Amino acid sequence: MRKSSVALTVVALVVFLLASTAAAKTRVTYWLWLDDPTDTTVQELVEEFNRLHPDIEVVTETIPLANYYDQLLMAISGGGGPDAARFKDWWLGAFYDADLLEDLSPYIANWPGADDVVPNLWNTGMIPGVDGVFMLPHQYITFYLYYRADWFAEAGLNPPRTFDEFLEAALKLTDPANNRYGFGLRGGAGGQDQWLAFMVAGGARIVDEAGNIVINSPKAVEVNQWYIDLYRKHQVAPPSAPTDAYAQVVGAFQAGNTAMMAHHVGSSVMMTDVFGDNVGVLPIPVADPENPATMGTMSGNVVFSTSDVKDAAFKFISWLSEHEAMDKWSKSRQGQLPVLQSVAEQDYYTQNEFFRVSLEGGNYAIVWPPLPGTGYVASYVWQNTMQRALLGEITSQQMLDEIAQALREGN
Amino acid sequence: MLRRLNEKERFTPFLLLGPALLLMLLIVAYPLFQALRLSLFDASLLRPDRARFVGLTNYLNVLRDPLFLRSLLNSAIWVVGCVTLQFTIGMLGALLLNREFPGRGLVRGLSLIPWATSGVLVSLMWTWMLDGNYGVINDILVRLGLISQYRPWLALPISLGGVIAANVWQGAPFFAVMLLAAMQSVPQELYEAARIDGAGRFQQFRSVTIPLIMPTIVITTMLRIVWTANYMDLVFVMTGGGPGNASIILPVLSYITAYKKLKVGEATAMAVLQAILLIITLFVYLRLVNRKGEGGLSLYEV
Repeated sequence: MRKSSVALTVVALVVFLLASTAAAKTRVTYWLWLDDPTDTTVQELVEEFNRLHPDIEVVTETIPLANYYDQLLMAISGGGGPDAARFKDWWLGAFYDADLLEDLSPYIANWPGADDVVPNLWNTGMIPGVDGVFMLPHQYITFYLYYRADWFAEAGLNPPRTFDEFLEAALKLTDPANNRYGFGLRGGAGGQDQWLAFMVAGGARIVDEAGNIVINSPKAVEVNQWYIDLYRKHQVAPPSAPTDAYAQVVGAFQAGNTAMMAHHVGSSVMMTDVFGDNVGVLPIPVADPENPATMGTMSGNVVFSTSDVKDAAFKFISWLSEHEAMDKWSKSRQGQLPVLQSVAEQDYYTQNEFFRVSLEGGNYAIVWPPLPGTGYVASYVWQNTMQRALLGEITSQQMLDEIAQALREGN
Repeated sequence: MLRRLNEKERFTPFLLLGPALLLMLLIVAYPLFQALRLSLFDASLLRPDRARFVGLTNYLNVLRDPLFLRSLLNSAIWVVGCVTLQFTIGMLGALLLNREFPGRGLVRGLSLIPWATSGVLVSLMWTWMLDGNYGVINDILVRLGLISQYRPWLALPISLGGVIAANVWQGAPFFAVMLLAAMQSVPQELYEAARIDGAGRFQQFRSVTIPLIMPTIVITTMLRIVWTANYMDLVFVMTGGGPGNASIILPVLSYITAYKKLKVGEATAMAVLQAILLIITLFVYLRLVNRKGEGGLSLYEV
């Protein structure tokens, strides 16, 4: 009697478990960072996806960008971590090297949205010399220059298009006695992106077409010296430049301490709120007007090779890159540039000067190449060597040699 | 006459200590052992499963690295600078607070605020106070005529000084409160006796107060040395070790090695070396104090 009731319970349990797994949804965990954590757009998108796909349940986890790379590393190396994640081109090299990224090309072949993606943006998810796409393009930015239109008008200066015009304007607008400087050079955290914008605009490259590291070539050393001299020789940047990070650079620009600063469309609403028509926007000045270049960085989506729900994970990240979801995300406070042609063509983007200059930059933007050490350089080596160069402890050549070695070896 | 303990009685103390011992083993000994083990491996944070045993290579690499030696020197400046200044200011504060004046209780409470403020908050406050473009410290120094032009304190090679200032502000109240408590436990009769013997204020301080609060001085200083040596929040947030390597200290270097360079093995070796150095420092410190201590303070009292 007792035995049979135990057996019955076991059978009932097994049946129940089987039934519940059959009905269970495929659960996809997705990690992301938010530039504005109070914005609910992403949550709304996830809810909509879950409603449209009753068999999949996407669960998100938001982590601040400052800790994102560390935390992702810890989670994945601990054997856990998400199935898919928002991802920066900076980190592709290291994660690819460790076999942690799934090649998305077989999935992309069956994805109807693929033809709408701006063609040259696929590069941001690829590894030189390797077949496959490891990151699905989603949102990107290109660097441009903000300038104080009112100060330029007062001084009778034209907005600078070339390196020479830029330096001339910066010198004219610098007045240390009044704590006023031409350019808000960012030597502190995060400054590597605007540095790279000026480097490529000056004609330097990190890798050549064959994939060789050329960031310490004579050309690059020369452009880097020009950038260092803005601070050391011409002193058109505030004395605090070596450690200035985003908050300090924006603070100085808004407080009227600097006449120009480099950033991207993410700060355009704030700038127009503060300055109205007194702030102008320009492409990054170039050494040679025939060869424009700026820095771009892609925030895309990846699926990890450790995931066991890759199909569902790709379904979600590709849905995010389709017309409606992309349009909604791009217009939110998280919004960056849309990678879909059909979205970028809308008046909303083409009629806005900040978006227009940014999207124009998309045609010739150069991204950080996915080398094993890109993440390390972007998060540490660049800042360390740049500061030493700005203090005069090392030369332009020594700085770029160190960066080249770190890019190559990953440490 | 003493009775011999029987088998069961002899076992009882161990049984009672058991749970605590087990807990200690789990939360102290296990991570310690793991750290020692990890420091002998060439391990990357990206693929810990591919770790390779390399013996003492990590230690040799670390000891040969000029950046490690620079961090070591900076750490020494950081610890000595912070603890000495905190102690001096804390002692002055304690002497002031030990006197009767109206509103003393309130002042005593308020003086603890810096100690209770979180490290990141202190960092941000001081970063903006030391700011090169509109920091209040520049403003005050210019108005006092001490400097003629604003200085970017945290972008100068002496940036560690700015961080030390923040740490002194945060840590001095700890000394003040601890020393004050000790001073208040000194019996008044001793001061009376000293006065009768003709001792002046300074002599009373030197011959009565100091010897009697010595145990507190030793233990608080020792605690501060350990905490300050391991405390990286301020340096990390205020300068990140920069500009360049100007303010890098050991825990920050170890963090960078683990989480930016992804070399966990090497980072752990650094941490182990720092722990060993810290133990040696404390040992030397206690020996010095013992030799000098007029009351012959022993390790056991501490």
